[in-house]
Amino acid sequence: MTKSPAALSLTGLTKRFGAMTAVDDISIDIREGEFFTIVGPSGSGKSTLVRLLAGLEAPTSGRLHLRGLDITAMPANRRPTAMVFQSLALFDHRSVGQNIEFAMKMKGVAPEARRLRALELLRLVRLPESYYARPVTQCSGGERQRVALARALGSDPEILFFDEPLSAIDYRLRKTLEVELKELHQRTGKTFIYITHSLEEAMVLSDRIAIMRAGRFEQIGTPDEIYRHPTSRFVASFMGEVNILAVSQTPAGPVFADLECAAPEAAGAFAVLRPESLRPDASAPVTFAATVTQKLMLGSRTQFHLRAGQAALIAEIAAGSGASLSLGETARFGFDPADIAWVQA
Amino acid sequence: MMRRNPGFWFALPLIAAMLLFFAAPLVIVVWFSLMPPRSFDLTTDFGLQNYQSAFADGYGPPLMWSLIGATLTTAITAALAWPTAKILHRHAGRWASIVTALIALPIFISESVRLFGLSVFLMPGGGILAGTLKALFDVQIGTILNTRFAALLGMVYIHFPFMLFPMLLGVGMIPADRIEAAQDLGAGRWAILREVELPLAAPGLLVGGLLTFVLCLGANAEAAILGGRAVTVITAAIEQRFNYAQDWPMGAALTVLVILVTAALVFPAVRRIDLNRIIRR
Repeated sequence: MTKSPAALSLTGLTKRFGAMTAVDDISIDIREGEFFTIVGPSGSGKSTLVRLLAGLEAPTSGRLHLRGLDITAMPANRRPTAMVFQSLALFDHRSVGQNIEFAMKMKGVAPEARRLRALELLRLVRLPESYYARPVTQCSGGERQRVALARALGSDPEILFFDEPLSAIDYRLRKTLEVELKELHQRTGKTFIYITHSLEEAMVLSDRIAIMRAGRFEQIGTPDEIYRHPTSRFVASFMGEVNILAVSQTPAGPVFADLECAAPEAAGAFAVLRPESLRPDASAPVTFAATVTQKLMLGSRTQFHLRAGQAALIAEIAAGSGASLSLGETARFGFDPADIAWVQA
Repeated sequence: MMRRNPGFWFALPLIAAMLLFFAAPLVIVVWFSLMPPRSFDLTTDFGLQNYQSAFADGYGPPLMWSLIGATLTTAITAALAWPTAKILHRHAGRWASIVTALIALPIFISESVRLFGLSVFLMPGGGILAGTLKALFDVQIGTILNTRFAALLGMVYIHFPFMLFPMLLGVGMIPADRIEAAQDLGAGRWAILREVELPLAAPGLLVGGLLTFVLCLGANAEAAILGGRAVTVITAAIEQRFNYAQDWPMGAALTVLVILVTAALVFPAVRRIDLNRIIRR
């Protein structure tokens, strides 16, 4: 069996700043054409990692291979990769066309060929051709995003890096650009490595997600795996609002400590339970009494904040179905242990 | 008179001062330049004879030397100030502010004093440089004193801060991520300088360049103190006309020529500078 080398292969990649280790011994193979997303809170080292990959920062130790070629010592301007910066870093003193053509100009492509390719890229990122001569300073936020993307594609990179490019954009536009980015990935077939602090964004975009914490990958998996089988509370809590129940061992068997009810077949120290798995259903396998402390309408769902014993829980019920519980009311809530994702830490 | 904008009334004292102390002397200089040679009144017949003799009587070379000196000094100080500004900007902090202060401090000392100091330093035989080399290493060196090169050295030395400080502002206008983006897109060191750094720092470069160039065009002491008789600049010729030759109209005509040359170079450049942008950053 012949195995083609990985698009990008990291081996023990480490970056220290003084006593601080920003990237700590990371090894992973990123596949050809993959949309790989690194998710982490600020300070987790994800930006440093992508800067190492782009060559803007030199690793303290470790190797970096691009399709089998060692590029660890290759400077950024010679790497066949391109980055979309968080700040976009557009050349404000140049027109849209000149921005897109920059990498081609550096390669010595003839002006006419550059122009044709720039117009092609404008179409690809869904900007009208009339934008070619426009100063970038006259573009709106979303248009600037597209120019930055076209500029990165203009270098015809083998791998594209994205350093939280959508973080400063309002919700609706972000959703639109997410979809466009995914389509662009499918159309170009290039390898995308994307950095974000939003797991939601990562879920929408990625083939594979790595959750980063304190310079290391906490978990790597497909969006589905991360969603269904988080390996730690850190990963689970990253997905937004989840219920985490500690399990303690008693002579009578494991119990959910805060709920004071039995935890049959506990397979870990903590149970991660999604809000939608918790229902006002007295016939569920595990039930307990809970008081509604807050009721929020989320559009398609209704969210209940519950207090049961020592535990504060969140339940979400599809709008229109289920009981019409009101604030302060006490009812029996329950869940199916099969819906629990067990984690050890 | 109709009611006017209050801004006009607030500006009025300044307008009056500018008219009295800036515009009026200029008008008098231009007026004098049109008078017959060696006259001291402003009522004789107008004529262009001073301008004709300006070129006929050999004032072309001094004007040319001033222009060459100013151009060379501007180019050399720019080439020196760019890396200095880049280093100071990168290492901004305590260390850089000390260096900045050391560069700025000499401005508070009279230019002539500094030039005479440089002259003593460069003097042959017992001069500081030659004397030290002879005493310590038994090396005999000549001197560059009283040459055009010495005059240029003095010009560069005196005008370096005037180039550096606007340049520091200019360099501060280059966001670091733009340089990284250019690097990422395949630009080498020179391409980054040409395509990104210089255009973004352009306002600072222009201000520094203009300041240096205009000051150099009016410089006199460097050529007189360090250049000896090796070179006569136009300012020296003007001074000579006014003070020793008692030929005010001729001096005025030369002055007008220098002003015209300066204006022709400065106005197109000034129009490209957005002062607001520099100050806001």
